Amino acid sequence: MTEPLLELRELKTHFFTDDGVVRAVDGVSFALYAGETLAVVGESGSGKSVTSLSVLRLVASPPGRIVGGSIRFRGRDLLALAEAEMRAIRGKEISMIFQEPMTSLNPVYTCGEQIMEVIELHEGLGRAAARVRAIEMLRHVGISSPEQRVDEYPHQMSGGMRQRVMIAMALACKPSVLIADEPTTALDVTIQAQILELLQKLRRELGMAVLLITHDLGVVAETADRVAVMYAGQVVEYCGVREAFRSTRHPYTAGLLASLPRLGDEHQRLRVIPGNVPNPVRFPAGCRFHPRCPIAVERCRSEVPALRDVGGGHLARCFRAEEIASGAVDPVAGEGAPRG
Amino acid sequence: MADALLQVRDLRKHFPIRRGLWSRVAGHVRAVDGVSFDLMAGETLGLVGESGCGKTTTGRCLLRLIEPTSGTVRFDGRDVTALRPRELRSLRREMQIVFQDPYSSLNPRLTIGSMLAEPLAIHGLARGANARERVAELLTLVGMSPDHARRYPHEFSGGQRQRLGIARALAVKPRLLVLDEPVSALDVSIQAQIVNLLRDLQRELSLTYLFVAHDLSVVEHVSTRVAVMYLGRIVELAPRETLYRDPRHPYTRSLLSAVPVPDPDRRAQRIVLTGDVPSPAKPPSGCRFHPRCPLAAERGELARCSSDDPTLREVAPGHWVACHFA
Repeated sequence: MTEPLLELRELKTHFFTDDGVVRAVDGVSFALYAGETLAVVGESGSGKSVTSLSVLRLVASPPGRIVGGSIRFRGRDLLALAEAEMRAIRGKEISMIFQEPMTSLNPVYTCGEQIMEVIELHEGLGRAAARVRAIEMLRHVGISSPEQRVDEYPHQMSGGMRQRVMIAMALACKPSVLIADEPTTALDVTIQAQILELLQKLRRELGMAVLLITHDLGVVAETADRVAVMYAGQVVEYCGVREAFRSTRHPYTAGLLASLPRLGDEHQRLRVIPGNVPNPVRFPAGCRFHPRCPIAVERCRSEVPALRDVGGGHLARCFRAEEIASGAVDPVAGEGAPRG
Repeated sequence: MADALLQVRDLRKHFPIRRGLWSRVAGHVRAVDGVSFDLMAGETLGLVGESGCGKTTTGRCLLRLIEPTSGTVRFDGRDVTALRPRELRSLRREMQIVFQDPYSSLNPRLTIGSMLAEPLAIHGLARGANARERVAELLTLVGMSPDHARRYPHEFSGGQRQRLGIARALAVKPRLLVLDEPVSALDVSIQAQIVNLLRDLQRELSLTYLFVAHDLSVVEHVSTRVAVMYLGRIVELAPRETLYRDPRHPYTRSLLSAVPVPDPDRRAQRIVLTGDVPSPAKPPSGCRFHPRCPLAAERGELARCSSDDPTLREVAPGHWVACHFA
């Protein structure tokens, strides 16, 4: 493959709080290539959102700080850039849309003004030209009668429309990378379907890469090309979308998939991952998943597994990935149980 | 079929919209606008719909946490809507509710023990040592330790708090639980734990559930029958298998097709609806779904659908649909 557009290596973002150091992101590496959708999946507290905020250097400091690793975008280390240079990248080359379209739009400016601001700032267009572009962008994201909508305020719009405005703003300068942090979580399913379809269409048209941050495995299956599963501040599995759903090599991913109620399944008990997500101030020693893992062995309690290639570019952070692959152990039911 | 434990007939809740200096009533939000259904003893009825469809308001009207505007709710033969305050209290022993947000629904200043003992005292069920014993029993019932009684809500995670919310609802030994989005604030791995717990409790204690949720896969997993709401009305009601395998209402069909399937080889054929849900203050004329309905346009029946309001009718035994073309 060609050079990645965006590459994270051993990124560490920690928060220095009164309760101790929260190691929210603790050695995350992945690469995003032009035109693809990479989904970063995890539950709350896994560090997926802090990872995405770190890429744009938007982590509130204090208490947060990027304490290690690198983020390279088109060969440049974003962590070494001056704030002014970073500002030229945000919104222009790398854009972001957030989960809550109500709180991420400014309530005292019209939607048009907010889109125009991005265009004026990055492309140096005059107001009239920027307005024309803003209307064009609104039409592009499927807002009807954009000539009127451009002068409306966020509160006059529905949740789905506000998310469209956010997308219009993020894409106004045709960025090469879009970070979408839970873009549909606050929306109803029928509106979610509209927004996901829109994002896919725009990705194809603009040829941009999408970093999709989500907890919804259904959304991942439908939109992603590759997947990075996060647990306790680290990537535990990193592979193509089919491999993740068909032949996972990590017991956490396996547990997540097994715990989903699915349309069309039988009326039986759901599989559960016992226990809770660990406290990020005191992660367990050894493998961070071992207290909840059905196939943990002595080694998992003391030794930290590395994220390694377990075959064909499929990365997993588990000592027993090969046994899972061969069917020798069942990563959900536990020791000795036959797979299937 | 067993007897109906709860009978809801033509339930309505209209919230006034007040404007101007004298708070003149400028209109009404018809949050619930003519809802009827029966809840059979021992079953789980799933009530699904998107935000603003009135499912939560319906759940709260049943317990009279919100006073309905009109309609009747009969619990075990008694008309809930006609009860006086004292009688209502005794009814609340039989019907309880579990809320969505386990962070805001527990009093942060009460220990778990006092929180669980409170309903016992109010209803005169147990005091002192008896109450302590019952609290320990309740905690064990929801999979927590009796030692937790001395702790405060902030010491617990979301999933544990939801267990405590369930324990509180069960304290008075109710027969019916209204579960208002009980798992939507939880992570997937925790969601499965709570869904299983609810299932076990239902068996053990012969409970009847009204399960209000927007997540169609969870609802399919837990329900015996499912009712789909749109803009304050039930548009389809059927046994679970029927509703999921053979949905007849175009809204149910598009809703089901919009659910992302966790399987990369089955990227769904979607019926993507255009537009947003209209405001319940100004519901469309005729069938409320007609401005977004693919079927009305396809059949060239927009004139009929925009003037003629379809009633909920039984198209097959137990399968109710409010559509002219069901």
